[in-house]
Amino acid sequence: MKNEEIDDVLKKVAQTPQDLDLRLLERIDESIKPSLRPVRPLPPVWLMAVGLVLVCSAVSLAGAARSGFFGAAKMNLLERSLVFPALGLLASVAAVSFVHQMLPASRLRLSPGVLLALSSVALLAAFAGLFRDYHTDHFFSAGIACLLIGLLHAIPAGLLSWLMLRRGFAVNPASAGLVAGTLGGLAGVGMLELHCPNFQAAHILVWHIAVVPVSAALGAMLGWELHLRTRFRARSDER
Amino acid sequence: MWGCRGPVGRQANVARHLREDADVGEDSSWTFHRMHSGENLETLMVRYQQGDFAAASVLIRHISPRLHRFFLAKSMSRADADDLLQETWLRIHKVRHTYRNGEPALPWFYAIARHIRVDHYRKSVRAAAGERELEEMSKGVTTTSPQAGELEALLAPLSESQREVIAMLKVEGMSLEEVARAMSSSVGSVKQKVHRAYKKLRETIGATTPGKWRSGGQA
Repeated sequence: MKNEEIDDVLKKVAQTPQDLDLRLLERIDESIKPSLRPVRPLPPVWLMAVGLVLVCSAVSLAGAARSGFFGAAKMNLLERSLVFPALGLLASVAAVSFVHQMLPASRLRLSPGVLLALSSVALLAAFAGLFRDYHTDHFFSAGIACLLIGLLHAIPAGLLSWLMLRRGFAVNPASAGLVAGTLGGLAGVGMLELHCPNFQAAHILVWHIAVVPVSAALGAMLGWELHLRTRFRARSDER
Repeated sequence: MWGCRGPVGRQANVARHLREDADVGEDSSWTFHRMHSGENLETLMVRYQQGDFAAASVLIRHISPRLHRFFLAKSMSRADADDLLQETWLRIHKVRHTYRNGEPALPWFYAIARHIRVDHYRKSVRAAAGERELEEMSKGVTTTSPQAGELEALLAPLSESQREVIAMLKVEGMSLEEVARAMSSSVGSVKQKVHRAYKKLRETIGATTPGKWRSGGQA
């Protein structure tokens, strides 16, 4: 059987008259009529993305300002000019992606999984090329401390980002949470690069970068949980 | 509400359209095109955002049959499809501000409908664990409309996502780009699903029941 023949079969089925009850449509009309007021559409994508990048930068800078800019002070010009623009670029991509996640039927250029992989691999490549100290002093104790500090900044950055786009609607809350978590994770890494003076390659490659996937996983779980709570609340309201 | 927003002439037109819509019965898309030449879904959507009840009403009459058919294509009873349609419109109404002027409106409607359907599917999977719910599901199958049965039988061998793609692309006549937007996916991924779906349909329609669908869908 040819594709055209299958098309014909599907067209025949599609042309079957639709016996939709007009009373159902009237009920829908009546249900929306009382609350029909003019609404303000969401701002342009670029504006929301810029806002998200600014929020994340503010969280990173505020954290580093409180703890000290030891990492940024220890970096040479090449390291500074590669690490921070790379983080900024990735954060911009994640911000645009998050905005698209919060708009139904947006054209998605990067899936959440690809965004997470791209962010992690790009950071791995940049850091592996820049930091050549292969000592592993206090690998676990210093590493876990950095991971926690990074997450402590990633979580508020992700939550503030979500709060900023609260008027949006995520058709896939877990994906949206994953992207928000990735964005927050990049803010956490930014804070660590500004603050952490430990330039051992293994420390940075493992513990600093781990902030991104851990934060993304937390974001996905939180997104799903929020979705379930919203649904439960909506059902309770209906009853 | 709409009386203070839209011009009176427009209200009268829409009232007439709705009466004629009822007169012509089923073919609401024909009515829509005949009466709203020069006014597309996107324009209506913007007017709906501005609080125009007439535009909302026309959208409901134009989009609902398509969404209803979309729900029926997913092996769903007619009562479930009616419920989901109402639920979808309530959600559309709640998040109407997320539609952006200039973007295609049809994928936006389908993206929300798909979200509602996925929710319903998860709920029904959980409910199916209980015996009582299983009985209700079997009742639901018996109340499926003839059209839903035909479409369901045709798309039965396909996976959930393949059914969705075929229903939007071939039954509803959406473009690849629109389907990709509605599914939050890429055009490449949609093409791949269509290719696999056609492969399965070729095997099923061609091999098991030759002539069944070719002769107008009646076994």
